[in-house]
Amino acid sequence: MKRHFSKITLAVLSCLALQSCTKGFQEMNTNPNASPVVNPQFTFTKAELDGAANALVLLQGTMQYTTSFNDVAGFGAKYVLSQSNQTYAAFTNGYPKEVNEIVSVINAVKDDPSQINLLATSRIWKAYIFSRLTDLYGDIPYTQAGKGYTEAVYKPVYDSQQSIYADILKELDEAATSLNAAQPTFAAADLIYGGNVTQWKKFAYSLMLRTAMRMTKVDVAGAESWAKKAIAGGVILDNADIAKVSGYVSAGQDINKNPLAFNMLNSDYVVSASSVPGFSNPEGGKFQDVFINSLKANKDPRLGVLSVVYVNGKADTSMAIQKGMSATLGAKPADFITYSEPNQATILQLNSPYLLLTNAETNFLLAEAALRGWYTGASVSVMYENGIRASMQQWALFGTAGTITANQIDTYIKYHKLNTGASTAGQMQQIYNEFWVGVYPNSQEVFATYRRTGYPALVPNNYVGNATGGQIFRRMLYPLIEQNLNPENYKAAVARQGADELMTRIWWDKQ
Amino acid sequence: MQDLNTRITLNVNQMPVTEVLKKINQTAKIDFAYGSDVLTDSKKVSLNVKEEKISVVLQMILEPLNMAYSFSDDLILIEAVKSKSKTMTKVITSANKQSQVRGTVTDNKGMPLPGVSVKLKGGTAGASTSADGKYAISIPDGNGTLVFTFMGYVAQEIALSGRTTLDVSMKEQSQDLSEVVVTALGIKREKKSLAYAVTEVGGDQFTQARENNVANALTGKVAGVNASGLSTGPGGSSRIVIRGNGSLSGSGGNQPLYVINGMPMDNGTPGGSATSNGSAGNVDRGDGIGGINPDDIESISVLKGGTAAALYGARAANGVILITTKKGRMQKGVGIDFNSTLNVDEAIVSPDWQYEYGQGTIGLKPATAGEGLASGRRSFGAKIDGSSYIAADGLSHPYSAVKDNVKNFYQTGTTFTNTLAFNGGTEALTYRFSGSDLNSKSILPNSTYNRKTASLSLNGKLGSKVSFEAMAQYNVENAHNRPTAGDALGNPNWLPLLAANTTDVRWFEPGSDAKGNEIPWNDAGIASNGYFVVNKFKQQDTKNRFIGQAGVTYQIVKNLSAKASVSRDFYNYNYEYILPTGAVYVPNGQYNALKADNSETNGMVTLNYSGKVSEDFTLTALAGGNQQRSVYNLQNTTGSNFTIPYFYSSTNLSTISTIPTNNHTGINSVFGSADIGFRSYAFLTVTGRQDWFSTLSPEHNSLFYPSIGGSFVLSDAFKLPKAVSFAKLRASWAQVGGGAPDPYQINLAYSMLPSSGQPLQNVSNTTISNANLQPYTSTTTEAGIEARFLNSRIGFDITVYNRKTTDDIVSTAISGTSGYNAVILNVGELDNKGIEALFTGTPVKTKNFNWNVSYNVAYNKNTVQKLSEGLNSIQMSASVNSYAYINNIVGQSYGSIVGTRVQKDASGNTVFNATTGLPVATGLEVLGKGVAPLTMGLTNDFRYKDFTLSILVDGKFGNKIFSLMDVYATRLGLTKRTLPGRDGGLTVTGVTQTGAPYSRFIPVSGLQSYYDNDKAYTELFVYNGGFVKLRQVILSYQIPVSKLKVLQSASVSLVARNLLTLYKETDNFDPEQSFSNGTSQGFESIGLPRTRTIGLNLMVKF
Repeated sequence: MKRHFSKITLAVLSCLALQSCTKGFQEMNTNPNASPVVNPQFTFTKAELDGAANALVLLQGTMQYTTSFNDVAGFGAKYVLSQSNQTYAAFTNGYPKEVNEIVSVINAVKDDPSQINLLATSRIWKAYIFSRLTDLYGDIPYTQAGKGYTEAVYKPVYDSQQSIYADILKELDEAATSLNAAQPTFAAADLIYGGNVTQWKKFAYSLMLRTAMRMTKVDVAGAESWAKKAIAGGVILDNADIAKVSGYVSAGQDINKNPLAFNMLNSDYVVSASSVPGFSNPEGGKFQDVFINSLKANKDPRLGVLSVVYVNGKADTSMAIQKGMSATLGAKPADFITYSEPNQATILQLNSPYLLLTNAETNFLLAEAALRGWYTGASVSVMYENGIRASMQQWALFGTAGTITANQIDTYIKYHKLNTGASTAGQMQQIYNEFWVGVYPNSQEVFATYRRTGYPALVPNNYVGNATGGQIFRRMLYPLIEQNLNPENYKAAVARQGADELMTRIWWDKQ
Repeated sequence: MQDLNTRITLNVNQMPVTEVLKKINQTAKIDFAYGSDVLTDSKKVSLNVKEEKISVVLQMILEPLNMAYSFSDDLILIEAVKSKSKTMTKVITSANKQSQVRGTVTDNKGMPLPGVSVKLKGGTAGASTSADGKYAISIPDGNGTLVFTFMGYVAQEIALSGRTTLDVSMKEQSQDLSEVVVTALGIKREKKSLAYAVTEVGGDQFTQARENNVANALTGKVAGVNASGLSTGPGGSSRIVIRGNGSLSGSGGNQPLYVINGMPMDNGTPGGSATSNGSAGNVDRGDGIGGINPDDIESISVLKGGTAAALYGARAANGVILITTKKGRMQKGVGIDFNSTLNVDEAIVSPDWQYEYGQGTIGLKPATAGEGLASGRRSFGAKIDGSSYIAADGLSHPYSAVKDNVKNFYQTGTTFTNTLAFNGGTEALTYRFSGSDLNSKSILPNSTYNRKTASLSLNGKLGSKVSFEAMAQYNVENAHNRPTAGDALGNPNWLPLLAANTTDVRWFEPGSDAKGNEIPWNDAGIASNGYFVVNKFKQQDTKNRFIGQAGVTYQIVKNLSAKASVSRDFYNYNYEYILPTGAVYVPNGQYNALKADNSETNGMVTLNYSGKVSEDFTLTALAGGNQQRSVYNLQNTTGSNFTIPYFYSSTNLSTISTIPTNNHTGINSVFGSADIGFRSYAFLTVTGRQDWFSTLSPEHNSLFYPSIGGSFVLSDAFKLPKAVSFAKLRASWAQVGGGAPDPYQINLAYSMLPSSGQPLQNVSNTTISNANLQPYTSTTTEAGIEARFLNSRIGFDITVYNRKTTDDIVSTAISGTSGYNAVILNVGELDNKGIEALFTGTPVKTKNFNWNVSYNVAYNKNTVQKLSEGLNSIQMSASVNSYAYINNIVGQSYGSIVGTRVQKDASGNTVFNATTGLPVATGLEVLGKGVAPLTMGLTNDFRYKDFTLSILVDGKFGNKIFSLMDVYATRLGLTKRTLPGRDGGLTVTGVTQTGAPYSRFIPVSGLQSYYDNDKAYTELFVYNGGFVKLRQVILSYQIPVSKLKVLQSASVSLVARNLLTLYKETDNFDPEQSFSNGTSQGFESIGLPRTRTIGLNLMVKF
């Protein structure tokens, strides 16, 4: 004790001499659990996972794949006013996570020529991230986004969607051309292609094609020239090149699980010792009648892959028994257990890959490009059929239960030939009805093409208390907090784009 | 300061009296005044006393010299006994008849009083009482009047009337003159010399009508102290705010610093406070002050203002609560104190729902089991008619109102507390040891709390120059199933509070089926079955805490001493929360464990001087340094999915991750103070402190805080009218401040994340760090006046203050599009202006009956002056589903409740959205203050002979409270506001957004959806939070034990807390229904109902 006292006395006396009042403070104020520098690999992996996971699952309801009798969980399918703030989520999550991360990675690698592939893949991924965000909200912070720490920009300006699109296309072009197979890559840290430069190039051009086609309503000339550039650069034309995040696990950390499967399982379909399969669903989720009826009417072999009905606790995939639930319900129906829900063996597999941009999608886009005369590599119907085939084959990625035989595929195609004699609109309708089924569960992409092409011609739900006057959303709302924290820029965006409402059309969605 | 009960040891031989008095002055800090003609060096005494009271010693010295002392101001006046008595001497000597009178003098508590001077009125005969209070005096003729005098007590004159035995009970003088209070760093100072407001509350205030958490017992007792106990059951936290919330960052939750015996202690809640929107496991884990045993407390001093607290520097920005623990007393043998309390708790509020329409939807009562379950928490059914229906349990029940589900679900809570304390010692060493056991059963079934405390206090002398003190306390706190508040999952209160109004919640007992799976009571799986929660959820926490203190004082020379102290407050905390397999909403279960160890270590050295500089001036000065270190290590383990069902081990989880937190912070300080007294009526106090903070960057890490204050005792300086017993003016100015509350905020860093694949990393914190952070400053100016009249029968004490915080460190929310959610800036500015008043009076004062009244009232106006450039509002908290917010808004008070209103046009018509048919909600508006600005308390103490009755009524006014329960009760059809339209439909009228008249008919079937939408209008659920409560009643009987040799004293008390609510405006819940001690106050969130406590307290001293 005495020694302790003299120690303090010494400390205080020397502090009085103002020499050591802060001795050891810097070390004390260094977090032992954190590193002062960013590791580009580790942060890039995180950016991939976050960017992939940041999807609005509610759009599954909006695109009429799923629904719930519950207003909260059923918001996407019912558009209930009081739940409108659910539409903020992608915006709120995106910037502090994947945007921050990818900006950090780019800052860390941009000045080192030997890291050119790291920079290029990061730029492509950044383009992907922002294209997803702008397609939901319209004008968003882009050029100044993620610069809070590096440049003290606390109120980023909202860039017009037009300028964001222009920059994304430019970025994809530059990044794709700068990829260099001789230089190091992210390798295993890249969960999409494991650093494969050739595949990244295809992903970049496919994204360019997607982006270009988005502009058909507003800038058809620009759409055409960028689509042609993308096609010339080489898009994904093989299921082996599908852009997908792999490496998900069925047990372990939640961040390492397929985000869509994880989300759906946890809200409704989790298997447990106590739950009654098909009945317990805490959030009341089921497949919607529109989707199931369509698959049934078309005798679509994907129905049994995607959908099950529980009979005595056993998942039954037989077509006859499948039945979708109406989105107009407001309370749990007595026959709740008899409705179809997602298949645990395919779409709900936690270790299944998360598809970002598929071969089916590029084929359907090319079908449209061919229809417009922008693509001459194959006929419209060939691309249309390739799209269907690619879609049906890709379910094999979800395990053996996803396998659809070549015979089934051929039979389906045989009965669903493209009616080349139909009008352009008629062919578009047929292509994008197939697109609706073919790129499921990428509901955001379907939401975008629905707004652009009007197909599939979904009948909106006029649910009591809905926020849209019984119409399907045209965009998502900016988070309320932006009015508070970034008011000038928010107001400028609203002045340019139109009221911050669900029915306001964004730049490329002009009527 | 002038405590004549202080014991001294003196051994002198033929020493001049003046020298002897100097010696006493040195050791006991007692000042004497005498004329040089009265006491000359020629008068010498010999004396050998050991640990005798100064009063006795003085008697022994002065009596033979025919001198006496009296008390004047804070001086002891020594005078020769008036010559009149000399003449009387002759009379006496001429008398022959002598008789002896004997007796015992006791104080008003029945304790023997040694050293009391006993004299014959008008005679020379005199004596003083012995250590056991006994005296014997020879009286010439057996008649006359005896005069009993003793410092600090009212002199008594009693006629003998022939008696030879005369026992006397002395009454304490009103404390005006000698009241001594404990101030910063444990320094005792005379209250009248203080330049600031300090309130001291005696330890007995905490031991009779007990609160488990001693801080809750301050409610209503101190002006300007806003204390509110949480409604989280036994083992819950307290929240105390002194003179308003002072910092936007909420450093330490804006709660005061707690100091035990001069050394700071930790008041943190392991793992943080409960949030306003959390679910399962969102519990109040108890704070640091809750671990202190009330029986160990001698007194609590509340240092409210900056000057009072300035010596504590950074951490005193929110005031200081000083706890002085009991010490051992030197005595023969061992003193034993035993205190036992049994308290019984019951819920006080039962919601007042509508009981006209019962369970069901669209106006129909459920007819099938499926319908019964689907509407288990909906009361939009048919008219209640006593017929039968199928309820959520699938069985047929009468369709009748069930009004007492609160009683059906909650049980009677009990708390049994026993404390045994031993004290005693010798001249060289005194000790006190206490052991205490508190055993509580909450009103929530299966929720318990146990606290065992052992405490040891030692004080001793090592020779003439060195003395030491040491204190050690060890606690073990065990809590089981603390109640969750907030969202529905795992919240046991949803079932009893929100079940349909024809449901008896006991139908859902025991909450699970044979396999252990939850039995649902409604269609929303997230709304847990309360019985399943109390029976199957598992929650256990254990806190082991050790507080140790040791200090050594060395008397260097006369008037100058040095003191060194160390203290350490350390705890180790383990918390485990298991959401079991079989819950409807999370069928595979969840797991959370916190392992925390926390310590606060302080080392302090001080150099103290106390003495007279000249005839007129006294000086007390102090200089010292302090080194403070805090370590907080936390391992937060979360997991989900028990692989083997119903087997609850962290080894059985399919997903598990552990996040460590290791916070290390330090503050180094040097400080000094000087108190200058002039002629004992003018006082000046100056303090200064420099702090260095580890949490800031080296360029900006220190701050100097000065303070200055003065007090002037008018009644001593001037001759005031006789009616004025005491009058004093005081004023002070002080600065305190603080560094960043958390470490690691000055540099950006990247953290690894638990991953089951490739390594993952991201920014450690989405708050942008700031290397340029500086300490913030809080400046308090206060002035007060204190006066008492008519022999101190009435008095008042009024303080006005202005406390301004500038450069406040604010975690400022910024647009998330910057890549971050917040940035830490030195931008905030807020002020608290207020007035506090204490009025006291003694309407009746007779021998057998006393009535004392004390009324305290405080008003605090808090204004947020500035956030950051262009920022007008910071969101601090959101309710479940963001129905309401607590924000800090420029121009409003700290912690405003914010939400929407129903939009009205200029003529007051409701504006409807013609598309949706629903009223339009306004944007976010301020709906009220979350913290009450006006607080008051009224205490009436009555004493009749051996009975005392103490009644405390307190109230808070001016705040609002948002009720989450009412939101849900409206959505579910329980509130009376959902009644219009039940009988045939509702027609709503108003205008459209374009101003056209609007009318719409809502059929009965549409009411549920219509009223459900009320959740969009926050204002409907915001209530006036003011209340008046009969807070505490103590009826106590002092058992007359003086005849029993073994007992020193004994008392028995009937006690009650929260006995009655005299006024409130919240029909369905208690306005103090708080569930978190965090900074966000103003939400009711479906927590445990508040309780009324009635108990019995027994106190025995051997």
